[in-house]
Amino acid sequence: MATSTPTPPTPTVDLSVDLAGLRLAGPMMTASGTCGYAWEYGDFVDLTKLGAFVTKSITLHPRKGNEAYRIVETRGGMLNAIGLANVGLEVFLKEKLPQLADMRSKGPRIIVNVAGHSVEDYVVTTQRIADEKAIDAIELNVSCPNVKDGLTFGTDPLLLRQLIKEVRASMRRDCKLIVKLSPNVGDITLTARAAVEGGADVLSMINTYTAMAIDIHKRKPRLANTTGGLSGPAVRPLAVYLVNRVYRAVARDANVPIIGMGGIQTWQDAAEFLLAGASALAVGTALFVDPATPIKIMDGLSSYLAQQKCASLREIVGTLKIDP
Amino acid sequence: MNALPSPVHDVTPTRDLFEARVEVNRRMCRDHYLLRLRITGPRDFPTTQPGQFIQLGCANPDRASRDTREEVTWQPGEVPALHQDELCHPSAFLRRPFSLSGRGDDVLGTWVEVIHRVVGVGTDWLSKLRVGDAVDFVGPLGNTFTRTPGKNNALLVGGGVGLPPMFYLAEALDAAGWKAMAFVGATTSELLAVSIEEGLVPESDGRPNRSIVQFASYSDPSVVTSDDGTIGMKGRVTDGLLPVIEKMSGAERSKTVIYTCGPEPMMHAVTKLAERFGIECQVCLEQAMACGMGTCQSCIVKIEPDTARGEVAQGRSVEGRDWRYKLACTDGPVFDSRRVVWG
Repeated sequence: MATSTPTPPTPTVDLSVDLAGLRLAGPMMTASGTCGYAWEYGDFVDLTKLGAFVTKSITLHPRKGNEAYRIVETRGGMLNAIGLANVGLEVFLKEKLPQLADMRSKGPRIIVNVAGHSVEDYVVTTQRIADEKAIDAIELNVSCPNVKDGLTFGTDPLLLRQLIKEVRASMRRDCKLIVKLSPNVGDITLTARAAVEGGADVLSMINTYTAMAIDIHKRKPRLANTTGGLSGPAVRPLAVYLVNRVYRAVARDANVPIIGMGGIQTWQDAAEFLLAGASALAVGTALFVDPATPIKIMDGLSSYLAQQKCASLREIVGTLKIDP
Repeated sequence: MNALPSPVHDVTPTRDLFEARVEVNRRMCRDHYLLRLRITGPRDFPTTQPGQFIQLGCANPDRASRDTREEVTWQPGEVPALHQDELCHPSAFLRRPFSLSGRGDDVLGTWVEVIHRVVGVGTDWLSKLRVGDAVDFVGPLGNTFTRTPGKNNALLVGGGVGLPPMFYLAEALDAAGWKAMAFVGATTSELLAVSIEEGLVPESDGRPNRSIVQFASYSDPSVVTSDDGTIGMKGRVTDGLLPVIEKMSGAERSKTVIYTCGPEPMMHAVTKLAERFGIECQVCLEQAMACGMGTCQSCIVKIEPDTARGEVAQGRSVEGRDWRYKLACTDGPVFDSRRVVWG
């Protein structure tokens, strides 16, 4: 019995990532909504080792979020229906932004996730945030499954393209626009293509799967919101597939990098996403179990890349071999 | 347990991920198990207070390997041993929160104790741990019960899985020179997770005695109630509490704090009693949580906004009380009962 854990001597692999001109020192990011606004996990783990930090979703106005219960664990994952609880744009700019600027000065790129209910919501919020020099990119949440009409933009290619066009036009040019794709669609290449045509610099995928868990004794949904978003190891193979599909059908030819996420917990999981076509990686639900997960993954990735005789992480992106 | 200034809503700044080994895994009653975890590794475990909790992993702590694609070597005729733990042995993905029921520091270092009831895949996994097995947990988390300056008498009211923090609290109050009496509610005798003193049983008329070892060891009398009357007094825990409060003088009540943890209807009933008699009451709330560290925003509880600190209401209850969501994990789990908006 031999484990496959590679242990080469001091690998010197270039782990840096180029996200449409935005350079990250390393590939690991946090997934929106799992790491707070800034330093919440800072006493546990050295957040400055992240390639980029992604905030929870910010909306124009504060939101208190859904009633309890907001989460339920299912086999290999969890459903959440937080309902975009957040402090709103004004408080974010006043109280959280200085913390993010401080974090940025220590290494990680800063990405703010923005959600909205209308084109105007999105435009106003993204414009204000993109005006801040400490913000390197905005990730557009067009696919929150836990708020009323949250999925509309994320599932309708025409609406999505129009939204992104208007958002992109309103933003500071050198602030990158990342569009987070919903898996809750029939053909994800249609929304991916619409996002790219609309002006997305980067795609991130996937958001959670709309799902339901039922209390069979009460004959009621286990979440107050009825449905929630499924995340965690349970969705990983689904996410790997969608990343590869979008990579091959849209992103590779359009030269639009993908941030891969969905159930990543180990370096082996991360490696699957790289091979499938992701240029960078985000850890979400696993942070709830161990906030140091992305940092631990980096060590394993370095060794793996050295073992695969790659001098840089970029070399392995999308190199999945599929027999013709 | 230090007398902290009034309420309590501090996040422990010293939380971390700790590794430990099982030192004791003892079945206390039908569904409840006591786990004593000896902390291993180089870091000292921070000071803790009653009311605080840990997020215990209910899965092999070597998570980096639990999903590893292992290369299995085998000889023809052999059955290869599978090592994909996650696939072979169902275990919980998220950690589970448990209040500390005790903590000790000795020449070997630090141990902590939790008591859990087997209700699902995570606690089932915990119940099968053997002495020496490795676990890991995040902690210490949450705020603490506090001793109010000028008071010296405690009524500890615990029900079901809310009982364990009362053991730890009894110890801390004893060390601080407080008097305490415990009120323990269970649905039935089989689900009462205490040790009963030999030759002594809880009184069926609700008179306090020293039948519960965990309280008697600090000279604290206790009252046991059960819903079906199979142990102690038949009735709710408040049925045992009420006559004791009624006998107290006003002066005694003003020196008393009620500490409670248990099912929400029980805590609500205890709160009403406390308010009726003008006794301070601290409640330890529970809500489903993923992280326990203040980021997932799951474990919301409705608390009166602190308008003096500029907090604004997010909603109003049917009784017309303003509330605002707080997190049980970092704003709590302990709250002043007067600020809790129930239902």
